[in-house]
Amino acid sequence: MGLLTNLKDSISRVTDGLFAAEEPKRIGIYGPPNAGKTTLANRIARDWTGDAVGPESHIPHETRRARRKENVEIERNGRTVTIDIVDTPGVTTKVDYKEFLDHDIEKEDAVRRSREATEGVAEAMHWLREDVDGVIYVLDSTTDPFTQVNTMLIGIIESQDLPVLILANKTDLPGTDVKQIANAFPQHETIPLSALEGENMDEVYTKIAEYFG
Amino acid sequence: MPHQCTECGRTFPDGSKEMLSGCPDCGGNKFQFKPNGVDDENAVAADPTGSTEPPTPTDSTEPRGSTDPKPTRSEPKPTPSEPKPTQSEPKPTAERSASSERVSDIDNEDTAQASARSDVVSPDELDRASQEVPPAADESAEPGSGSDPDSGQRPGIDDLRDELNAQFESIRIVSPGKYELNLMELYDRQEYIISLQEDGRYVIEMPDAWGVNDE
Ligand SMILES: Nc1nc2c(ncn2[C@@H]2O[C@H](COP(=O)(O)OP(=O)(O)OP(=O)(O)O)[C@@H](O)[C@H]2O)c(=O)[nH]1
Ligand SMILES: [Mg+2]
Repeated sequence: MGLLTNLKDSISRVTDGLFAAEEPKRIGIYGPPNAGKTTLANRIARDWTGDAVGPESHIPHETRRARRKENVEIERNGRTVTIDIVDTPGVTTKVDYKEFLDHDIEKEDAVRRSREATEGVAEAMHWLREDVDGVIYVLDSTTDPFTQVNTMLIGIIESQDLPVLILANKTDLPGTDVKQIANAFPQHETIPLSALEGENMDEVYTKIAEYFG
Repeated sequence: MPHQCTECGRTFPDGSKEMLSGCPDCGGNKFQFKPNGVDDENAVAADPTGSTEPPTPTDSTEPRGSTDPKPTRSEPKPTPSEPKPTQSEPKPTAERSASSERVSDIDNEDTAQASARSDVVSPDELDRASQEVPPAADESAEPGSGSDPDSGQRPGIDDLRDELNAQFESIRIVSPGKYELNLMELYDRQEYIISLQEDGRYVIEMPDAWGVNDE
């Protein structure tokens, strides 16, 4: 029994290894609420697959369950890089249904949304621990990057040795400050872009291929 | 025994490793968190009204048709090694019974939290935590000090909650629709919380269940 089982084990280990090597890297798109994660995920998915990932909205916590788009093939310099992109709910330490009341949402619905948003953050944190091979960290470049959430998430990502790209989004807006983001995380590369306008996406794709290929 | 399989109703003591690879009886991998606090009977009795059912996630990404947790009379079998949450429940003063409903809600919530983490904290610690807190019942008369944004809360209870929260909580239900999240703790958790309920319960799903839930 011993020899045969051992043999079987090592065969299945080898095949596992082969399949693992072929599997696309799973890239989590993380960041605070409203940073433009879904807008970016949709742009990447539309550019390379033709489909969208999920609804974008100016209302925070629009994304409340992680959504995955598989087998996104990105071509760079004659090479094809295949990734799965996971759009995650915006990570935050506080969720209050009152945030939604400003957006013409009834109280009952707002309470439900905030509960879902909270569940979504739990889920996103779990994915980060178990299930992503790399991270695209999206920040709104018109807001202060020195927040507890950003520091904590980047810290976790670093502790896991995951490759991470920091994107300074919304460069089309007047108050944009890419430098501030670069200063906040000097140990990582910061790439400016407008996911909405599609500005600087070429560089984004080049870096994705470089980091996650 | 705060965890219950939503498929077959089997219950597990808190911190049980058995459920991590799915329910040994039926293979189910969704579990409901059941604080065995004082309100257990009431909450179970309220089940038929549907009010305590776990919210069904709106997205289609839910892997199974969400099964309603079967109401059980979960007789908490006392396990010697397991600190019973009831004994760690802060009982500030004798006037407690006369104080508002809100206070008992808060206590229940903390009970749930304490029970969720009963494997990492000793009852002594909890007792100490509760002793550091001044009696709560007379505080409603005090004008709000303004130091806390939640000015409606009682400061004593708040301090206690903060301390409890700092020790073991991943999600704090401040009030319905208002949550505080401990990201580090959420990140560190084995299981992931899928469904929150306002009474401090939640339905959790084990890692096995995902991967099947996409597109
Ligand atoms: N001006 C500008 N607006 C943007 C840009 N990217 C996203 N937005 C807007 O920002 C808002 C939030 O975008 P989403 O993509 O939904 O943000 P998110 O990070 O997915 O948010 P959550 O799912 O709530 O965490 C929407 O109104 C978008 O149109 C950008 O590059 N420029
Ligand atoms: Mg989104």
